[in-house]
Amino acid sequence: MPTLTIDGQQVEVPAGATVLEAAEKLGIEIPALCFLQGYEPSTSCLVCVVRNRQTGQYVPACATRVVDGMEIDNATEAVSAMRRTALELLLSDHVGDCLAPCFFACPAHMDIPLMLRQIGEHNLREAIATIKQDIALPAVLGRVCPKPCEKGCRRNAADNPVAVCELKRFVADADLASGDPYQPACQPDSGKRVAIVGAGPTGLAAAYYLRRLGHACVLIDRQAQAGGRLRTEPTPEELPAAVLEAEIAQILRLGVETRWNTAVADQADLDRLCDSFDAVLLACGAVEPEQIAAWGLAATRRGIEVDRNTYQTQRPGLFAAGNIFRRKALVVRSTADGKEAAQTMDQYVSGRAVRGPGRPFSSRIHRLTSDEMQEFLAGAGAACHSTPAAGETYSDAAAAEQSNRCLACGCVAHGSCKLERYAILYQADATRYEGQRRPYEVIGRHAAVLFEPGKCIKCELCVKIAAGAQEPLGLTFVGRGFDVKLRVPFGGDMDAALSKVAAECVAACPTAALQFARHATTHPEDRCAAD
Amino acid sequence: MIRSELDLNYVDEIVVQCGTRREAVVPILQAIQRHYRYLPQPALMRVCELTEITPADITGVSTFYTHFRHQPVGRHVIHVCEGTACHVKGAELVRDAVALHLGLAPGQDTDARGEFTLQSVACLGCCTLAPVVQIDDVTYGRVSPRSVPQMVAEERHARSAPPAAARPAPNSRPGELGEIRIGLGSCCQAQGSGRVHDEILAVLSESGAPAAVKRVGCIGMCHQTPLVQLITPAGESRFFSHVRPEDVRSIVLRHFRPPGLVRRLGYRFARWLDAFYSNEADDAVESHALDVGGQAVCGFLGPQKHIATECCGDLDPLDLDEYLRHDGFAALRRCLRELDPPSIVDEVRRSGLRGRGGGGFPTYIKWQKARAAAGDTKYVVCNGDEGDPGAFMDRMLLESFPYRVIEGMAIAALAIGAQEAIFYIRDEYPLAVARIREALERCEQHALIGAGILGSGLNVKFRVAEGAGAFICGEETALINSLEGRRGTPTLRPPYPVETGLWDRPTLINNVETLACLPWIFRHGGDQFAQLGTGASKGTKVFALAGKVVRGGLIEVAMGITLRQIVYDIGGGALPGRTFKAVQVGGPSGGCVPASLADTPVDYEALVQVGAIMGSGGLVVLDNTDCMVDIARYFLRFTQEQSCGKCTLCRIGTKRMLEIMDRICTGQGRPGDLEQLEQLAHSVAAGSICGLGKTAPNPVLSTLKYFRDEYEAHLQGKCPAGKCAALIRYEINQACIGCTLCAQHCPVHAIPLTPYRRHAVNMDLCTRCDTCRQVCPMQAVDVVS
Ligand SMILES: Cc1cc2nc3c(=O)[nH]c(=O)nc-3n(C[C@H](O)[C@H](O)[C@H](O)COP(=O)(O)O)c2cc1C
Ligand code: SF4
Ligand code: SF4
Ligand code: SF4
Ligand code: SF4
Ligand code: SF4
Ligand code: FES
Ligand code: FES
Repeated sequence: MPTLTIDGQQVEVPAGATVLEAAEKLGIEIPALCFLQGYEPSTSCLVCVVRNRQTGQYVPACATRVVDGMEIDNATEAVSAMRRTALELLLSDHVGDCLAPCFFACPAHMDIPLMLRQIGEHNLREAIATIKQDIALPAVLGRVCPKPCEKGCRRNAADNPVAVCELKRFVADADLASGDPYQPACQPDSGKRVAIVGAGPTGLAAAYYLRRLGHACVLIDRQAQAGGRLRTEPTPEELPAAVLEAEIAQILRLGVETRWNTAVADQADLDRLCDSFDAVLLACGAVEPEQIAAWGLAATRRGIEVDRNTYQTQRPGLFAAGNIFRRKALVVRSTADGKEAAQTMDQYVSGRAVRGPGRPFSSRIHRLTSDEMQEFLAGAGAACHSTPAAGETYSDAAAAEQSNRCLACGCVAHGSCKLERYAILYQADATRYEGQRRPYEVIGRHAAVLFEPGKCIKCELCVKIAAGAQEPLGLTFVGRGFDVKLRVPFGGDMDAALSKVAAECVAACPTAALQFARHATTHPEDRCAAD
Repeated sequence: MIRSELDLNYVDEIVVQCGTRREAVVPILQAIQRHYRYLPQPALMRVCELTEITPADITGVSTFYTHFRHQPVGRHVIHVCEGTACHVKGAELVRDAVALHLGLAPGQDTDARGEFTLQSVACLGCCTLAPVVQIDDVTYGRVSPRSVPQMVAEERHARSAPPAAARPAPNSRPGELGEIRIGLGSCCQAQGSGRVHDEILAVLSESGAPAAVKRVGCIGMCHQTPLVQLITPAGESRFFSHVRPEDVRSIVLRHFRPPGLVRRLGYRFARWLDAFYSNEADDAVESHALDVGGQAVCGFLGPQKHIATECCGDLDPLDLDEYLRHDGFAALRRCLRELDPPSIVDEVRRSGLRGRGGGGFPTYIKWQKARAAAGDTKYVVCNGDEGDPGAFMDRMLLESFPYRVIEGMAIAALAIGAQEAIFYIRDEYPLAVARIREALERCEQHALIGAGILGSGLNVKFRVAEGAGAFICGEETALINSLEGRRGTPTLRPPYPVETGLWDRPTLINNVETLACLPWIFRHGGDQFAQLGTGASKGTKVFALAGKVVRGGLIEVAMGITLRQIVYDIGGGALPGRTFKAVQVGGPSGGCVPASLADTPVDYEALVQVGAIMGSGGLVVLDNTDCMVDIARYFLRFTQEQSCGKCTLCRIGTKRMLEIMDRICTGQGRPGDLEQLEQLAHSVAAGSICGLGKTAPNPVLSTLKYFRDEYEAHLQGKCPAGKCAALIRYEINQACIGCTLCAQHCPVHAIPLTPYRRHAVNMDLCTRCDTCRQVCPMQAVDVVS
């Protein structure tokens, strides 16, 4: 039985075993996209490369048989760089949005398509949970937000954006009016205490998420109540006081301690806070340079100097978020800051590396041609659209119908896709290599199995599974080189090609290239509620 | 060809001929395409009904190889060669001119009348005649955009005329006193040797002049073709170069005076009988005479050493008796009678022979492994897929010395104990295929191969398989997949074919030239072979010398000779008025060696040291008019198009590299491009599965290394060599006399006709076809960058 070392760890494997199998035996994960147990390796993706230390060559672990005395490098930077390059090349030829455009347009990065699907399914309870995952003040924002998400909505280019903001407000209002508004479960007490200076949108959001993360929070404000600029900037017509009070109450109900009428005027005040808390967040809105100087902190042209990724000031344990360093930003930006600062402070107080919230990875299609837009529109649940007249709110049915206009731009495989997973793991930059982009197409719109060629990485697994099962038609590659495509022979359709092993192929496909159609879940009574 | 009801009976017939197994798929598709001129889907479905070939197989295979068409093809196919030699001599301009002439819209390949289909092909193997165009089976050499309309017209005309009478069999009158030798390889035929040959036969039969005509293999002097050698009854030999059919009468009759001349006075060319004894005719004769002692011939042939090409220019390729008279099959006989397989392998070891197919792997080690591999069924494959643009050594060897290659293969089969020997030859080489087939038949008749070789108990069956347009199938694992009837994608090695090859049996794959060296080695001993060459590179190497040299052609030189000697001594140096800049060695897997390193010897390791590789033997000489960025882009485009598409680094990496190169060549380069190009190049080389991807970045890396300034100039929007169309302009200078030639010839009418006045080029219309510069008698057209 041959023995080899991987990253210096020795293991003995049966004759004929591959490096991938040896790694498995050692509990070392080697990324693999095109390999499936029971089938000959495709050696296509090359994401599994390892380096043979003796020859200096990079070889695919999935197909390289162990030779006695082999020394394999797996966890080195050079190997990671090769894997990253393979992933980045695959992504340069990938047509898909892991995350929908609205995700990036919304400063709070709410999972809008998920919320919309839940509304479409009349599941408002889940919808509010989805919203509050990222937005602490949805009823407020539903009234004051200038809706950047809708500007970024893909449907904007076809007819009108999905009314994301109003639907969010609809859900939040319904929640508040329910008599039993949604309260998230907070994590067990961490024993850490955090002070938040300023109870405006930033501070409120930070308090909400810090509580959810299990940290004790003290919310401090000069004023006698929470709300900050939300009490002065919008008119009472735009934001009725009752709505603001109700949402603040929801936050404070999580067990936030408050200290009103308390100023943190100078460095001595700040020192006291920093000494008695595990972390302190300055979230008191735009301040004058003199105030920053009085705290003994460095200033920039706009405000306090912070690391924009981690919200850390130059003073350890002291964070700052919102207009205190941005001067003038949207309320939604402030609430997003509050959430992200909470996430970083959580990293800090629990002794993890302070990296900030991180930018989520996503392959992105960007601009669509009109043909491509038709592809997306073809997949949308309902084409007709209605908006309630000004001052009126949505009915459940109208809200569902509006939600079903969503094109569900994000990828169905988001979260389960191997390509996405490894891209995150190896910090791949999907935009590193620019090149000619293929068109976005969906083949078999009306079939049970959908095929998105732009997401196919040519791993050959489905071809092999179909051939192994002796599918009468099966699948094949046509053409070669860069233009190689997966196709059904003789122009047949996917359902015919995969008459026996559709489920196996969909499960094996490392991306969302092959997927079962999720036909619109629209309730019949929602269709054209406006007619 | 579109019929509503396709007659599928032919499919049934062809299946009976080719068999129903999966490996029959390529021959079946080839036959169907020959019959229907494309692959009609009903025919393919019928094949699936009749055979074990599945719909997925037939679809995958028929779309992998570029020679298969799924759309009806025009009645005639115009192949424009896009090989290296043709590229540097303006093939792209020729292709554009053909498209323009046929009125093809972008993306269209067949003209509206369905008469002509335009296709690009990788090297046609006539590089010394670049640019080359092949219309059906007729090859045209030295085509220019200007000559395209005439060429197409000629072709139309020829097609409407009744076919010419079949060419009489060569060597029809052996044993006569004089001999006229003419090369009839593909190169020679492309240059019109076929017509010269016909004319010689006609003159001889009309005049009764006492000479035999002998078709001989390639002598390598492609730059002199059509080349005719006369051997007078007295044994005196004279060469005549660039012979045209109209020169034939005077050349022949002057040397071989017909008997009973007076008797034949009535015969129809008697009217100029006088003329060919006059000084006038002498001039015609003498102007073609080649001074064998002179520099042109001596320089070219002198430094060469013919082993694989032994007796070049002397032998009739298919004359088995002649081959036997020249010690043919003596090597095989020795192996059978005097040596046992281990000592055969040992002789090869002593010769130091290394694979000539590109890798340079020691041949004896491969043989040893194949011999030692377990199993009774073993195969030998002769790799004749030669597809490097700019290389045609193997074609020449197969065409000119079929028996030698067969003998080499038989020795290899003997050494490893193989029962089947397969020639895999690309289908762009129809003459090579035909000659090998015929040679095999004759050998079989003489019991030289097949059952009971040379009276021994051995039985080695030979057969020929044809490629279908995929360069990658030259890679040995892809070749095996192709032979098995699959898409020609490589598989990861190890396991190597010598262990697990065709049908998972041990399979020895050797290159044509490697095999062609064997008879000499076994006749002279491995030690003799090893005396030639350098430390680790023994023997000789055949090169296709092409590009910007005075004398291009096929040469065989001892290893160790320097590139400079090849370019200057054999090739006669740069063209007049040009400066030698670099040699591209090794084709798309190789690199550009700058003139400053021209003293690098021909040696596997030395060439790698300077960023090139020995490769299969393409040597393209480049001069100051060649843009190195364009050359690198050209090769990269080739490999990118030829990638099988299996592995990520090669499939997408080469594409991204090419996109960067395209940007650079069109003036769209950006800062950071060169760095990204380099990074990608290293990753593609390190991470690709097979040799194609691993070596594809070499042309880019070597030019980046030696000619980075040219890349940088392109980033500034300048092409120093004046080659990259997007970066150059055509301007007419003061020397213009207003002769209007350029205006008349410009195919897109970009030059207004202004007689007697200085002309001007409208750059909005100009396609940079270079015609104006070529036709201008005053050198008044400048290329400006
Ligand atoms: C892309 C590619 C193309 C190749 N083409 C050829 C070819 O046309 N002819 C050839 O003999 N070898 C070719 N080779 C090399 C073969 O894989 C193999 O090494 C060779 O045939 C072995 O014979 P040799 O040892 O006699 O050189 C190619 C290799 C690669 C990677
Ligand atoms: S297939 Fe994977 S990588 Fe592609 S868009 Fe979907 S989740 Fe993202
Ligand atoms: S259509 Fe839906 S998923 Fe797409 S951008 Fe708009 S809201 Fe987001
Ligand atoms: S569609 Fe098939 S070949 Fe493409 S990624 Fe999915 S499983 Fe692989
Ligand atoms: S390196 Fe290129 S040609 Fe070779 S297997 Fe990979 S994709 Fe195919
Ligand atoms: S061919 Fe030359 S000389 Fe004649 S018109 Fe053109 S540029 Fe002038
Ligand atoms: S190459 Fe090994 S898993 Fe894809
Ligand atoms: S014949 Fe055109 S490059 Fe060889």
